[in-house]
Amino acid sequence: MRTILRLAGIGFGVLLGMMSQSAIARDLLVTAAKPDKLYVIDAKARKIVGDFHIAGANNHITTVVPSPDGKVAYVLVNRMETIVGIQLKTGREVFRANLSSPGERVKDFFAFTVTPNGKELIAYELPTRLGSSEYQVEEPRFVVFNTKGGTHAKPIRTFPAPRRIGVMLARPNGRSFYAIGFDLYEYNLKTGALMGSRGVMNWQQPAHGQPDLLAFWPVTEPSGAFSSPIYSEIQKDGAGDAVTALMTLDLKTGDLTYRDFEQTTALIFSTVLAPDRKFAYGTYTTLTKVDVAAGKLAKRVNNDHTYYSINIASDGSEVYAGGAMCDIAIYDAGTLDKKGDIELPGCADQALATLRVVHSR
Amino acid sequence: MIKSRIGLIAAASLAFMMPAISLAEVELVRAYCSGCHHESSPGQFDRISAVRKTPEGWTMTLFRMHQVHGLNLPEDVRDQIVHHLSDAQGLAPSEAATGRFALERRPNVKDIDLGAETNAMCGRCHSIARSALQRRDADEWLKLAHMHLGQWPSLEYQASSRDRPWWTIASTQMPSQLAAQWGLSSVAWTQWKNTPHRSLEGRWVLTSHAAGGLDYYGTMTVKKEPDGSYRAQYELHDSAGSVVHGTSHALVYTGYEWRGTADFDGFPVREVYATNEDGSRLSGRWFDANHPEAGGDTVAIREETSTTILAVSPRALKVGYVGPVTLVGTGLDRSNVATFGPGISVGRVVHGSGTMTVDVRVEDTADVGAHTVTAGAATSTVSVYRRIDSLSISPEFAIARLGGGKTPSVSAQFEALGSIRLPDGTLFPIGPVAATWSTAPFDEEAKKQDDVRFAGSVDEHGQFHPAGAGPNKEREFSGNNVGNLKVIASATESEGAKADAHLIVTVQRWNNTPIY
Repeated sequence: MRTILRLAGIGFGVLLGMMSQSAIARDLLVTAAKPDKLYVIDAKARKIVGDFHIAGANNHITTVVPSPDGKVAYVLVNRMETIVGIQLKTGREVFRANLSSPGERVKDFFAFTVTPNGKELIAYELPTRLGSSEYQVEEPRFVVFNTKGGTHAKPIRTFPAPRRIGVMLARPNGRSFYAIGFDLYEYNLKTGALMGSRGVMNWQQPAHGQPDLLAFWPVTEPSGAFSSPIYSEIQKDGAGDAVTALMTLDLKTGDLTYRDFEQTTALIFSTVLAPDRKFAYGTYTTLTKVDVAAGKLAKRVNNDHTYYSINIASDGSEVYAGGAMCDIAIYDAGTLDKKGDIELPGCADQALATLRVVHSR
Repeated sequence: MIKSRIGLIAAASLAFMMPAISLAEVELVRAYCSGCHHESSPGQFDRISAVRKTPEGWTMTLFRMHQVHGLNLPEDVRDQIVHHLSDAQGLAPSEAATGRFALERRPNVKDIDLGAETNAMCGRCHSIARSALQRRDADEWLKLAHMHLGQWPSLEYQASSRDRPWWTIASTQMPSQLAAQWGLSSVAWTQWKNTPHRSLEGRWVLTSHAAGGLDYYGTMTVKKEPDGSYRAQYELHDSAGSVVHGTSHALVYTGYEWRGTADFDGFPVREVYATNEDGSRLSGRWFDANHPEAGGDTVAIREETSTTILAVSPRALKVGYVGPVTLVGTGLDRSNVATFGPGISVGRVVHGSGTMTVDVRVEDTADVGAHTVTAGAATSTVSVYRRIDSLSISPEFAIARLGGGKTPSVSAQFEALGSIRLPDGTLFPIGPVAATWSTAPFDEEAKKQDDVRFAGSVDEHGQFHPAGAGPNKEREFSGNNVGNLKVIASATESEGAKADAHLIVTVQRWNNTPIY
């Protein structure tokens, strides 16, 4: 009963907020947390405006992908076997795709994306056939869902996929999507045809060793480009010096860049580009600011604790660090001074959840 | 889905087969396992019959069947199935030898080295010893690879895996490679399986050493129970002179694998011992039931063995020493005379159970180094020294783990080993010596992070006790109490003899499996 009242109160709060600021665009932070939570936070007000339950999350939440219109957040839950769409205003479940079926267990390792028109959701599937006394690892595939498929959505198209994909990104042209794994692949959205691949592991950077990319946070807002730290070594006198580069991928133009910005002195899990792409911000134990054009570390401050997932205000004024634990830290994007903290109710654990910024009216 | 199906089968089997506990052990496999593991020909069950493992290996398999597939076995049925499979499809002593350290749960042991690729493919998640303690043909190793990736899909994404086509290597190259090394059939196993194994009943003389602690010696009286298990009664002394009583209840698998649950004056202990092939010698490691990293080594021989000196305590005598030396062994009561070489005079001799204690005086004229000890026809050695010239620490590199919640800490035990310089200039090891212990930062970063303050402390016996786990707001980034330390020993008797070892204090290991 108390829960219902609390949720009703939040709903009322959202309604009030919408009435008073109906014409003003604002940033909503969207994050998920164990055991089964989706949170919507008014960034400027530093206030939780949505506290929603995701049915069947099974104490496991990871990737969060907002719909292009900012009305729905799709969340990968249930030990990577279920994608659920939740309406950000109401918390109502509007989409559910159970990837597994009797006799076949399917895991989606973090990777899915939504087309720019919001009509289709493309997921990555790692299937295993469950026999009576043995498992059979099957070939990976991409599956396409109609986002209007409801709460028992079934794939409308299926294509073969490479192994070890971790990030998928729909291109704004509406015709293709990127998948990042061993390399950067581009696929035709309608036919599933491989349109091309470019080096990630095979990046061919002069004097650099094989790079290491561990990217699970498909953040492209607000710049329209994906970015990630990528690590390698520069061979010198028989020994390797670890270097950190920034990888950027412009979804519109397809431009892919790798640029070293420091000899590795701190680990970074995820990065985000500022709206003007002049700076990138990264997080793990530190908050790192990278001068993109100069390829230099601009500034670094210690975080109070580990944060996995980073994002930035639509106007580039402040940086948000989430994931790993139960709060979102807010920093001034210019000075990296800490401006505040938003703690999730009951100190809910965000773990590997993606922190997203939805610019909403 | 499969879980509920197996659960149903298991429940149905349980209801139907309750009396099966009294049936032959293969009947238990039929009753509890054949619902999923099809019996393709009498006594041949899919997957199960294509594998050989140690008792711990079979225990882990049944744990997984329970945890992942919902199989609920009554405890006694589980024990009988493990026993049956270990006897019918186990490893010969020579086959288990290379991975024994893992069965014995020895801490800080360097794993088997199969080369960089195999070490990364398998050994980055579990010990290579875990693989070395199994036997399968290529098709079955391939099925194991399918199980791995099907059960743990993150495998392909982890460090030392995402840098290579893990699944391609695992599914094409590894099965034949592993089968060539550890195939299902072997001459050793055929011979061992067809050899009658000697009962372990009788009296044994044993000696044991706990690193950083005391030596123990005395007798072990073993009796066989009607159910085939063994009960052991221990009458021991420690090197400080105290009497220690113990009892153990042991199951012996595959004719040689002794697994004892013991109690020594209220202290719970587990024993992982093995006999040699003719059953005349029993050896292995015992450990604290709650802290497997803390334990000692035992060697026991049958009392009827011809005169043998198993151990000399103390192992090293300082010039000027006047006092008792205890010889531990068999047949020592047949002799009233012991000799210790030139410069060591011998006095009163007292016989005990499995011991012969001799009063000695180490004269100033005694040479430093090894002295031959004789008692009847048996010989051994004792070391004589004036001062400890050099110190080393064993192990040179160790890992300790923070503890907290339901996961206990993992301590690290160090031991100071002394050496003396012989007249010819060479160093001669004299074994464990008393030391004072301290810690220091291993490098500049450890100094900056004040690891010495946060990570834990080393006690007067050389045992490092890690701190509690979890974010610590006093540390940078609210970091865990991890640390990178030097553990320093200074010989108590000889100022200046110092050594240091490297200790990493790291996070918990969450799944503490019987074979690491």
